[in-house]
Amino acid sequence: MDLCMELNKYLQSVRENLRLDPKAEKEIILELEAHVEDRCQEMQKTGLSEEEAIERALGLLGSAKTVARQIYETHSQGTWRQALLAGMPHLFFAGLYTLNWLTGIAWVPIMLVFIGVIVAYALLHGKPGWLFPWLGYALLPVVAAGISLLYLPQRWPLVTLLFYIPLVLWLSCFITIKFIRRDWLYSTLMLLPVPTFIGWYLASGQETVFPDLELGFLYRFSPWTGLTFLTLGLSVALFVRMKNRTLRIIAIVISGLASAATITLASNRLGLASFLGLAILLMFFVVAPAFVERRLQRNRNVAIP
Amino acid sequence: MKRELIKGSIDSLLLCLIGQQPMYGYQIIKELEDRSQGYFRYKEGTLYPALHRLEKAGLLTAQWNSVTGGRQRRYYHITEKGRAILTERRSQWLDFLTAMNCIIQPVNA
Repeated sequence: MDLCMELNKYLQSVRENLRLDPKAEKEIILELEAHVEDRCQEMQKTGLSEEEAIERALGLLGSAKTVARQIYETHSQGTWRQALLAGMPHLFFAGLYTLNWLTGIAWVPIMLVFIGVIVAYALLHGKPGWLFPWLGYALLPVVAAGISLLYLPQRWPLVTLLFYIPLVLWLSCFITIKFIRRDWLYSTLMLLPVPTFIGWYLASGQETVFPDLELGFLYRFSPWTGLTFLTLGLSVALFVRMKNRTLRIIAIVISGLASAATITLASNRLGLASFLGLAILLMFFVVAPAFVERRLQRNRNVAIP
Repeated sequence: MKRELIKGSIDSLLLCLIGQQPMYGYQIIKELEDRSQGYFRYKEGTLYPALHRLEKAGLLTAQWNSVTGGRQRRYYHITEKGRAILTERRSQWLDFLTAMNCIIQPVNA
């Protein structure tokens, strides 16, 4: 095998498992590359061939996956402040539906502006890990706007169906895939509240969506609605504080399952089938981004000869 | 036991070496091996997570500098906070060593 190829393959494997922001990844890769370069140079002085030197240097560095995992654990653990920021949108919803903080349609534009400001700030400040739960909630007003357009008179529903909904779907997929490239777990964080919203909507037994843009059906099951969002908030905060990737996934799955169980038990309408449906939807949001990430990596590796 | 001792002392060793002069990763590995006469031989990949952890904790800072041949290396510098921790660790280590010597005497003593 070509020597450069062997080194590139090693560094590519480190990069794929780092899952950090591109700037940090680039620095780490350059640092490891410099290390191998130095080690090879010294080994070649002792009489080893270039081939043997690279092979030994990579062996001394250790498995690419282990090196990447250890560096990931060092960089990815957030502070308590970041954990609070990440859990905040869920906690905000928990407060909203437990304490009846805001009632009436007036909170929709307030929420929209508030979430928009937070998301814009995070996007301009290096896209930290706590951004992603906010980004998920940022899609809420976009969906609400689409629903309200459907109920407008004349040609608006047609315009919505033909342009707005495809545009929103495209935008959602674009954003999700963009962040899957960095780390599929961030996409899961974005999508985490979706099964909970769907669960409570099913529990409410509503036949139409409009004009319930203020999500009034969530009030009907208070304080259980608050409890489900509180569970999500706590799990996301734990996620940020944990170093170990497997434990992070477990925290997300447990919180999703706990929410699904709460929804099923609190409603008198839903049964085991609904619980299983919500659990499957949750697992889909965990497995699908991981699958897409793997496909993207495979395509990238094929593209780089 | 040797492995545990080495693993537990990595932070102090790194702070001590970098406290003497700014260094880059490979240079640190070499210094550790040379000065300890081969006693401190780390799996090289474990060095970088340790360096990055100390950097994240604010005990080290890093910047890219050129070495001979125009190549770039990431040099680590100790911070004031790092120096304070090093002083504390050095004092703890000396106390530990004194206490150990009082108990574990050479066999012929």
